[in-house]
Amino acid sequence: MELSEFVQKGFQLLADPGSFDSNAFTLLLRAAFQSLLDAQADEAVLDHPDLKHIDPVVLKHCHAAAATYILEAGKQRADKSTLSTYLEDCKFDRERIELFCTEYQNNKNSLEILLGSIGRSLPHIIDVSWRLEYQIKTSQLHKMYRPAYLVTLNIENTDSQSHPEISFSCNMEQLQDLVGKLKDASKSLERATQL
Amino acid sequence: MLLDLSEEHKEHLAFLPQVDSSVVAEFGRIAVEFLRRGSNPKIYDGAARKLNVSSDTVQHGVEGLTYLLTESSKLMISELDFQDSVFVLGFSEELNKLLLQLYLDNRKEIRTILSELAPDLPSYHSLEWRLDVQLASRSLRQQIKPSVTIKLHLNQNGDHSTQVLQTDPATLVHLVQQLEQALEEMKTNHCRRVVRNIK
Repeated sequence: MELSEFVQKGFQLLADPGSFDSNAFTLLLRAAFQSLLDAQADEAVLDHPDLKHIDPVVLKHCHAAAATYILEAGKQRADKSTLSTYLEDCKFDRERIELFCTEYQNNKNSLEILLGSIGRSLPHIIDVSWRLEYQIKTSQLHKMYRPAYLVTLNIENTDSQSHPEISFSCNMEQLQDLVGKLKDASKSLERATQL
Repeated sequence: MLLDLSEEHKEHLAFLPQVDSSVVAEFGRIAVEFLRRGSNPKIYDGAARKLNVSSDTVQHGVEGLTYLLTESSKLMISELDFQDSVFVLGFSEELNKLLLQLYLDNRKEIRTILSELAPDLPSYHSLEWRLDVQLASRSLRQQIKPSVTIKLHLNQNGDHSTQVLQTDPATLVHLVQQLEQALEEMKTNHCRRVVRNIK
């Protein structure tokens, strides 16, 4: 994993028992994970009485370094040995390496879910609703007497802010065609997962 | 139900008995063609010259015939009602029969054309699908994320549009379930009763 000097310096500070005692180290580590994974987290995450004695600039540096490292590790799906190697290079002692790896392991799933959800994709169908009607007449055509469906697909865009809809009408044959094709896709998916 | 023909309409149609039945048949063909593709005034000029009458007369004749056919098709009137409606025009037996035949031959197509005039929502045309597996992204490597990409083809007022969408396997199963329920609905007693009784 390629990490910047900023991260390296931050970790070297973090490794030093003189700057961060055991308790402060653990607190800072937890704060880093919290900032990344907790949607409600804000600057107050570093506002712990046991961290007050540390220079705020140092605190922010180490916090940012830890967060950067965690994200990079998550992105690359780093295993324990990769993590350990880098931390050793930063002069972390055994105990701190263990602590880091344990904390990372505990948060790994949430981290991967978060990273996996970032990115662009096509508009995503999340639900469908339908309406069945029986058409009797229009201003142009009397005595129609035929059933028709109105189908609405609920869509979610990647920014999760907009939820547009796509609506269309279809008759019975068309709906049968639509359902048939979706079933084909579903069966293919099943078969593919069994390979 | 009888057709209500206005005086003006009857005047326009009065031109028809003055020409050969083959000409009336031709007018009928032109009328349906105009419904399919839109009118072409040049045809009126050509016919007017051949028949030695004014272009306006030909136009009124064709338009009168068109209106007769579309109104009858819209209301889906029976053979008997059509004959009775036309009877008031005082045409010959032969002409009446010709007009009735014109109506019956073209009714289905005219109704299809009229149905396209109704307030329109996009309607389903077809669907293409593709299975994809996302392996990695800028923010996360080594993924296995299956998804289904769908291209939905829709028609509206003659325009063709496509939408490319995506969904995950679980939602796909849900979609199929919901839409199958929709199809099943037509077979229920309630729907059958409605279809039987509204005629």
